[in-house]
Amino acid sequence: MAILKTDRLSRHFGGLAALSGVSIEFRHKEILGIIGPNGAGKTTFINVIAGIYLPTEGKIFFENQDVSELPAHKRCHLGIGRTFQLVRPLPGLSLVENVMVGALFGKGLGKKEARSKAEDLCLFLGLTDLSRDITRMTALEIKKMEIAHALATQPKLLFLDEVMAGLNGEETMEMIDLVRKIHRQGITIGIVEHVMRVIRELTDRVVVLDWGEVIAEGPYGDVSNDPKVISAYLGEEA
Amino acid sequence: MKTSRILLYLIVLAILFTLPFYTGVYVLNVMDIILIYMALALSWDMLLRSGQISFGMAGFFGVGGYAAVLLFLNTGVHPLLSIALGGLAAGLLAWLIGSAVLQLRGMYFAIVTLALAEIFRVIVRNLPDLTGGPEGTVLSQAIFAGNSTYTYWLVLTASAISVAVSEVFRHTRVHFALTSIRNDEIVAKSSGIDVFKYLVFLFAVTSAIQGITGGAYAHIYGFVSPEGSFSVDFTLLPIAMALLGGMHSTWGPVVGAVVLGVVSEFLKLQIPYGHLMVYGIIIVVAILFFPQGIMGALGQRWTKTGTG
Repeated sequence: MAILKTDRLSRHFGGLAALSGVSIEFRHKEILGIIGPNGAGKTTFINVIAGIYLPTEGKIFFENQDVSELPAHKRCHLGIGRTFQLVRPLPGLSLVENVMVGALFGKGLGKKEARSKAEDLCLFLGLTDLSRDITRMTALEIKKMEIAHALATQPKLLFLDEVMAGLNGEETMEMIDLVRKIHRQGITIGIVEHVMRVIRELTDRVVVLDWGEVIAEGPYGDVSNDPKVISAYLGEEA
Repeated sequence: MKTSRILLYLIVLAILFTLPFYTGVYVLNVMDIILIYMALALSWDMLLRSGQISFGMAGFFGVGGYAAVLLFLNTGVHPLLSIALGGLAAGLLAWLIGSAVLQLRGMYFAIVTLALAEIFRVIVRNLPDLTGGPEGTVLSQAIFAGNSTYTYWLVLTASAISVAVSEVFRHTRVHFALTSIRNDEIVAKSSGIDVFKYLVFLFAVTSAIQGITGGAYAHIYGFVSPEGSFSVDFTLLPIAMALLGGMHSTWGPVVGAVVLGVVSEFLKLQIPYGHLMVYGIIIVVAILFFPQGIMGALGQRWTKTGTG
């Protein structure tokens, strides 16, 4: 069963087709990898699904409901969550308060409930020092806070946009375990990543985008040997 | 902690309320001006917390003043009710206009608010039958027959309302929404915040405060006029106060209004001509040395973290 389905989804920026005719299905409770070279349209895809951009053409169905025209905050309320490539903690708010924002507005909790929910999530992700100065957090801590913030909105489908970027080998391993932990809670995950080891270890299926189009789809093992995918990453032989 | 804070407010309010019993008319008149500017400075800062800069305070201040005076004259409602209705009128107008222009952000929104204030002034000026045109409208009597104690209590109420609204915004979910919107709108939307709704709401509430203040001002001084009621002073001085005191807080604008209010009164007595020049220099120097404002500088000294 599909939790999210896109039907020939396109998004143009002026003359540039950042996405064209993308039809992807996210199966219930799977981890789907979205890969492709720089500029392939991976982040644009997340932005269109999350409602930051409206599609130029095509439809998005979330749990069989047409959400193509819904504003971003309503899609969040329905259960589409996401993280951001470039994380910016909210200044003047503590670590827990940053995470609270997701619980306050994503799920409409009151302040007290939101705080305890945020504290639970921080601990769940291994952020044990709740009074941590957010201006001095490490890359890993910031990424964890960002994930906690997204989880606080209680998503059914969570997009992780390059959460491994900037992490060292050990931290990457920790993050992979965390993603598994989140997945075990019954959340469907869409993961955009450049680190292929992460994609290989985590995903059930992979979709490869290039120039805004889906060029391959299937288990990582198959896709990684697909000549089209190899040429997209390495370029055509002359 | 929360009850102790409310207790502190009540004590301060009680002291301010009883001020007329142990001071004279002069002090009350100075307090009137300080409190009026304090309410405006707070209203400006509240909108700023969402990242939007308004240069339109004078516009909604004037609209509130005109609405209050004209309602009072034409329908005979009680002056106090007319002031409240003036605030309501300014708030409704801001809500309507905000629904259209709050697609704009940053400098574009700021320019529109500046233009709005000017448009209101021109409209008022060109409706002589309703507004009295360029000469404005004079009331036969100021509110409370000019009684300085009642007048002071009126502006104290207006100012206390804006402090209360500001504190409610600081300590409820509104604070989280505004901080989030100011920092990154896309993140805010993705956290489930209806950004547009919050901005329109905030613009309407802050404009209503400006309208109430304008209504009180008009009734206290007994007149409205295009140049007087829409004076650019009501935009620029509150901004200077909020910047000097410290942005994104309740106490910054409050402290800024008190400091600049007292300083400007003192300078007016010492240097009747040119006191505004010295006033300007003080603002520039203060902002150079305390870019976070007075409260910001004090806050750093006390190294207080988290919300205050």
